[in-house]
Amino acid sequence: MAEQRTTQKPGAEKRTEEKRIILEMGAGNDLYGMDYTKAACRAVQDALHHSSIVLFKSLGYDHQQMRVQVTIGVQEPDKLDCARVAAELPRGRAEVTAVFGGLNVHDAEQQTTHVIATAAVEAYLPIDASHWRLSAA
Amino acid sequence: MSKKRVVTQFGMGTSIRSRNYTGAAARAIRDALWHNSLNVADAFGFPREAMIIDVEIGVQQPEAVDCAALLKVFPYGQPSVKVVKGGLDIPRRDKEGFSVVANAAVMVSFDMERNDG
Repeated sequence: MAEQRTTQKPGAEKRTEEKRIILEMGAGNDLYGMDYTKAACRAVQDALHHSSIVLFKSLGYDHQQMRVQVTIGVQEPDKLDCARVAAELPRGRAEVTAVFGGLNVHDAEQQTTHVIATAAVEAYLPIDASHWRLSAA
Repeated sequence: MSKKRVVTQFGMGTSIRSRNYTGAAARAIRDALWHNSLNVADAFGFPREAMIIDVEIGVQQPEAVDCAALLKVFPYGQPSVKVVKGGLDIPRRDKEGFSVVANAAVMVSFDMERNDG
């Protein structure tokens, strides 16, 4: 895939600029296993399944053109298996980054920790706005 | 006129004790809207007021839903609401009454066409 973010030189051939079409947000837990990856996968599923990007079909864009940027917040980001999280994304080219975030809920009495992961799934697509217009009323 | 659907959002809302179908529907819409941040209007260079928002609500008693109240949930765009029988009512075992679940689908479209030439 060609890099879409190259800076344009004046007079050079116009490249279609990549635009964010949606930011999807979700949360997921792993209650007893302290498995950050499992919680993150559930967070991604939660984020994904609150919307459907139907413009691929209705406007004739190709899924392959979509770049998907995933950011996961968990309390121990180094323990996250980013490749397994990336496998949760069915379409587009996904890239997963782990940062410190989410929430761990510890019960000192029962010696249990529930882990909560937050997912941000951003979809980018090269859209040339000059190809489209609103229909006249 | 060429209405093109670009994104559909989904949500669920409840009314645990008060059997408030409008309240449950409003929560379902908020659940659908606030899990996402849409940038489609911007991406195509359209004002967000041009967004045509078709809402479909499913509850067990559609006639109990105040559609006008639901329109107020939307911060922008041109919303319209349709209510059908669906969702779920869950009877309470211990006491009188039931809990209400509403499902919402929020379909975003633009009246748009390809700029030929």
